[in-house]
Amino acid sequence: MSAPAVEMKQDKKLDSDKEKITGWVNVIRNNASWSWVSLPSLFLVWMLVAIPFESYILPQPWEVADEAWNEMMFPTVSEVMDDDGEITIIPEADRPSVWKFIAKGEPSNALAHLFRGELWPHVGWSLLEEVGGFGAAIIFSVLFGFLAGFFKGFREYIVPLNGLFMAIPPIAWAPLMVIIFGLGYTTIVIVIFISAVNPMILTIMEGVLQIQGQEVRAARVLGARKWQLFLYVYLPASLPFVTAALRIGFSQAWRALVAAEMIGASVGLGYMVQTAGEVGNSRLVLLGITMIGLFSYLFERTLFRPIEKRYEVWRLE
Amino acid sequence: MTKGNHIGGDNLVIEDLNFAYSNNLKIFEKLNIDVKPGEFLAVLGPSGCGKTTFLNLLAGFYQPDSGTSQLRGEAITPEDPHLGYIFQAANLFPWLNTIENVEFGLRMTGMGPEKRREIALKNLEMVGLKGFEEFLPNKLSGGMRQRASIARALCLEPHLLLMDEPFSALDEILRDKMNDELLQLWDQLGQTIVFITHSIEEAIYLSDRILVLARPPGGIYKEVINKLPRPRDLRETKSSELFWEYKKELNNLIQEVQAQAPLDESEIAELELGAKNG
Ligand SMILES: Nc1ncnc2c1ncn2[C@@H]1O[C@H](COP(=O)(O)OP(=O)(O)OP(=O)(O)O)[C@@H](O)[C@H]1O
Ligand SMILES: [Mg+2]
Repeated sequence: MSAPAVEMKQDKKLDSDKEKITGWVNVIRNNASWSWVSLPSLFLVWMLVAIPFESYILPQPWEVADEAWNEMMFPTVSEVMDDDGEITIIPEADRPSVWKFIAKGEPSNALAHLFRGELWPHVGWSLLEEVGGFGAAIIFSVLFGFLAGFFKGFREYIVPLNGLFMAIPPIAWAPLMVIIFGLGYTTIVIVIFISAVNPMILTIMEGVLQIQGQEVRAARVLGARKWQLFLYVYLPASLPFVTAALRIGFSQAWRALVAAEMIGASVGLGYMVQTAGEVGNSRLVLLGITMIGLFSYLFERTLFRPIEKRYEVWRLE
Repeated sequence: MTKGNHIGGDNLVIEDLNFAYSNNLKIFEKLNIDVKPGEFLAVLGPSGCGKTTFLNLLAGFYQPDSGTSQLRGEAITPEDPHLGYIFQAANLFPWLNTIENVEFGLRMTGMGPEKRREIALKNLEMVGLKGFEEFLPNKLSGGMRQRASIARALCLEPHLLLMDEPFSALDEILRDKMNDELLQLWDQLGQTIVFITHSIEEAIYLSDRILVLARPPGGIYKEVINKLPRPRDLRETKSSELFWEYKKELNNLIQEVQAQAPLDESEIAELELGAKNG
């Protein structure tokens, strides 16, 4: 009598195991996204490719990370120069670093020390240039995009110009801008602006054109005046296209930025990659590339994707 | 349906109206119509004969080439607060939820949020969409969208209601129900209604008078005064002899219109051009 009972128990256990497994399979099925594999696989390939090379030619990712962290971002000062130009090496234990200042509870000293990290000015200037060029492109493209959407004459005038500017790689403007404005901020901002503003104008214009006459008509019979039409119909209806334009513009600007800095700047991520390449510092080159990719990814993920998701909700069809 | 206040209608006069699309496609020639205040006018005609064009002219979306169309003795503009237009497609604003869509007209008048919500809710309830306030249009069925658009138009208590095949997207049962509700509403509020439809039975059931449009260029082919007694009930009305007489008459008229001078090739080309541009 007892044997069957044991069997039953085993069966039950088996069943519950099965359930557990199918449960997990379902969890994976429902939640699995392969996107988490893409970045690690890239690092894996990097590591494999780097194996046969000497570290100074093609370093491993962790070597780049080490260099970035301990040299470029949070350097430890190992020597000081006094007024006479005499260099003394600081003993290991006394060497100042950001972390030590933080541990000692001296945030202002920590911050001051942080600026000794060579990477920060490059990142900072690149971001500032992006803000300048892309910001100007936003203002212009919204203005011209809407005008071109509303007025046929203006549209006919501006579309060929957009096409022309888009046919010329933005980097081609860099040497001219260097001649006019010299190396630096203005030059880079102008190149970025040229590269971003044209596709943005076209995207917004197409969007305004696509706003259905029917919606405008419905609003008019409901008593909407001209300014109300703009505020309550054209503006909300164009938000998806405006965000699409922002996304396109940002990435265009960012690419142009890096390229332009290689020619027309004395600081910035592009400049850093360029000069590091010239002296054969492959770690710094790879660090620059990683940073460029990282920032573009961060903006995409934290800024543009969430905004765009919001407008996907109400699309008809 | 909830009781509304009697609004009353405005009279609508169309005199010697001529209209052609910019590609010289003539749609109306010497159109004359006089719609009495509070009259329920149905307009029938085959597809492409100009019914939507007619309503757009009435609403002031298009300007007639000559002649006039006047409401209370004044030219009509689309923004006229006394004008309501229910389109062939619901045309809800996809970025607003149902209740925001319904309040849109009141919002344009500058009415405060609480008051307009109250009115919108009342109208939403009337079309049977209570509980769907927060739904975006793409989460509503076709029929629900059309009902929401009716509530949206009714919020402004229009004196003249233009309806372009408003129920053609609905199934027959819902359509009958909406017809009854429209009649009740009209009974209470007494607006002037111009109602376009493909359905002869719907036209007979609802209207005081039925216009059959001719093929373009033209205007009214024939008008039929509808003497069916009110209040109407779908079953009763359909079992009356008069109903079937009207139906036969209108059937014949429509067939005559369809058999009207077949278009020659250049006219068909013009029509095709028109359809493309439209
Ligand atoms: N914007 C436009 N420009 C030029 N021609 C147009 C335009 N709109 C409509 N037409 C033409 O005018 C004629 C009447 O069109 P309309 O839309 O008024 O027909 P309808 O009677 O409402 O048809 P349906 O019953 O199919 O809705 C058609 O031949 C059409 O091709
Ligand atoms: Mg039509």
